[in-house]
Amino acid sequence: MDHAAPMTIRICHLYPRLLSVAGDRGNLLALTRRCAWRGIRSTVAEADVGVVPDFTDFDLILLHGGQDCEMRVAARDLELKARSLHEAIEAGAVVLAVCAGYQLLGRYYAPSAGPPVTGIGVLDAVTEGGSTRFISHVAVACDLGPGGRHTLVGFENHSGRTYLGPGTEPLGRVIAGSGNNGDDGTEGARYRNVYATYLHGPVLPKNPWLTDHLVSRALQHRYRDTETPDSLAPLEDQAEAEAHAAALRLACRPAGRWRAATAARPRWRRARSRHTGADDQATRDAQPASEAIARTSR
Amino acid sequence: MRTVAGPGGGGKVPAEAAASSGRGPALLAEQVRFALALAAGKGSGAAGRLLKIGGGTSLPGAIARRIDPLVLRKVAAASKARKAVILGSNGKTTTCRMLAALAQGAGISVAQNRSGSNLLHGVTSVAVREADLRGRMDAQLLLLEVDEATVRRVAPEVAPDMVLVTNIFRDQLDRFGELHSMARGLEVAIEALPAHATAVLSGDDPLVASFAPRAMARRLYFGLSAEGVGAKTPEHAADTIRCARCQHALTYRRAYVSHLGDYECRGCGSRRPDLDIAVTHVQASPDGGTSVTAETPAGTIQVHVPLPGLHNVYNAAAALAGAFAVGTLEPGSAQHALAGLRPAFGRLEEIKADGRLTVLSFVKNPASYNATLRLILQRPGRKHVLAAHSNTVVDGEDFAWLWDVDLEELVPDLASLVVSGTRAEEVALRMKYAGAGLADMRVIPGRQAALDTALAQVPPDEPLYILAGYTPMHEFRRIMQRRGWVPPFWEE
Repeated sequence: MDHAAPMTIRICHLYPRLLSVAGDRGNLLALTRRCAWRGIRSTVAEADVGVVPDFTDFDLILLHGGQDCEMRVAARDLELKARSLHEAIEAGAVVLAVCAGYQLLGRYYAPSAGPPVTGIGVLDAVTEGGSTRFISHVAVACDLGPGGRHTLVGFENHSGRTYLGPGTEPLGRVIAGSGNNGDDGTEGARYRNVYATYLHGPVLPKNPWLTDHLVSRALQHRYRDTETPDSLAPLEDQAEAEAHAAALRLACRPAGRWRAATAARPRWRRARSRHTGADDQATRDAQPASEAIARTSR
Repeated sequence: MRTVAGPGGGGKVPAEAAASSGRGPALLAEQVRFALALAAGKGSGAAGRLLKIGGGTSLPGAIARRIDPLVLRKVAAASKARKAVILGSNGKTTTCRMLAALAQGAGISVAQNRSGSNLLHGVTSVAVREADLRGRMDAQLLLLEVDEATVRRVAPEVAPDMVLVTNIFRDQLDRFGELHSMARGLEVAIEALPAHATAVLSGDDPLVASFAPRAMARRLYFGLSAEGVGAKTPEHAADTIRCARCQHALTYRRAYVSHLGDYECRGCGSRRPDLDIAVTHVQASPDGGTSVTAETPAGTIQVHVPLPGLHNVYNAAAALAGAFAVGTLEPGSAQHALAGLRPAFGRLEEIKADGRLTVLSFVKNPASYNATLRLILQRPGRKHVLAAHSNTVVDGEDFAWLWDVDLEELVPDLASLVVSGTRAEEVALRMKYAGAGLADMRVIPGRQAALDTALAQVPPDEPLYILAGYTPMHEFRRIMQRRGWVPPFWEE
């Protein structure tokens, strides 16, 4: 390899306008910035509805979250892209899929309302719609092999329950939050170089270890015949470490956010709310508690 | 405190209680309960102001509802006032202020929740404050801005004659799950309107314009149809830019603010509805405001909007439409009605802080943040900035949306930066990836220390821009109020 020429990774951003509901373009920013800080070049191609690129031309593919109606549009279009995407993934292209993007890589998503959405089946995973949403901070213990154990932190907001089949392993184990289905303690999915997760927030800026993991896998994909460094040059990551620590604290707050909400309420309201179900708690709590907070802050 | 009217004290029974019937002790108890609720609510408001512990914008409502949960329903039912409910992600407070000014200009008296306290207790407080102890209100127009999550409870209690929806942006997504479930809540309020009521909708917001197609109420659409302003395509932070009917991507002839504009769908052929109130000409004026010409069913109206930015033109269009809907639009008086408007609390509000100028901006989603950034960047000089966000039930837990804000445009102009709030680390990380130099950034979660540090970095002749979420903005303002730099907001 010619060491004088800077290395380059080729990124494909799938549906940048269609699937972009939760600030997830921050993931792209984290990847390109951390590459740039190390002198690694990155190119970004956008692939929208109706365009079928050759995905084997890319080292890293991003597929983010969206709402149900947007997801249906993406699912119809993804059928056209599926063949090339499968080929690229089998050849080791790195994929980060978040939320709806994760569900689309599975076999299907059957929402509680409307017909099921067919995924492209890269992951051995199926998703069923639930009547309640998982909305909270999340912490996940991950072990991605060499490089050791890490904690993934972020925020989840989904009603789909994803169940993994034997062909796919989870991205990690839930420490706090709900993860894939709130049931079996798994979060996300892994297959070859595909990393799928329910965490947004966005997930990469707060978890620089995952960003770097994706970048080094992408470099290995690009320069497979030549030597790529095992580890990337370290960066000054104090802001990232502090944001990670803060997110971890939020995820591990005792009893979660509704304890925090009810603490701000008058005692008599608290006593009453004990008898209410947890499902509807969100809407009911939001009203008096927010007023109490607004009141104390004046 | 005045005593409550006793049995046979001549007090007329509130309409609902009278209708609901019984006589004797049950009815009397109901009357006493209602009067007690009003008295206790009023008392707590007065005490709050006297003790300077707050403006009584939500406590009176909380106390009154505790005594009589039907207090808002009863006051609304007994009142002959026209009732208007203002909904939407952005611009509710300013639209309300403009609509109140237009109504007052036409000689109509108005009762409203001024300070943006738009949850159930805040709305109830207005009724408690405005009604006498028998539950009757003098105001001819009851004007309520209502939070999107609260409308499901408030609308049935108030039974509005007019519901106005300004727009829908991704606003605190984690409270609602998805944008469309929040939209559904607003739609239900419109579907419930009787035939004599009016739904005033933004024709320029594809989702809002498509609301409740089978609702009985009269519909009025407002929007912009002006040349020379806006852009060809929506900016990237725009959200609902797919056809609400067929999900096909919308094509814009003109996008004025985010996804608000003149659009059509090439999938199903639907397009922006014909506007009933259309702003046809927009001219920036030297004072930073805007001169607006609008075509309305009441004729062509010229108004001067003393607030900057196209989003305030939208607020003015909404207010004109709302005023027409409740029958308080007079072309003659409208022209000057808005002239006296000051920026709403925390909307680029200028406060003299011990010789320095601070500009306080309440930012809550990518659309409002980007609109504010654009106005700040138009001003000359490098920018001293204090940015703060906190996770509370009001502000939400999820700050992912900060990554959709165009902070990259602010960074080259930064002279100094302090980040604060209980989510200071998140804001700092966002600023770092936007390109802000770490050496120049101070992370100070405590609001008072952050404000002092930020002010100390600003030379006397340059302003400090404070960009903050709801809770930290209130906190900064309260600190300034304690120091005597600003009057309490409930006295505005």
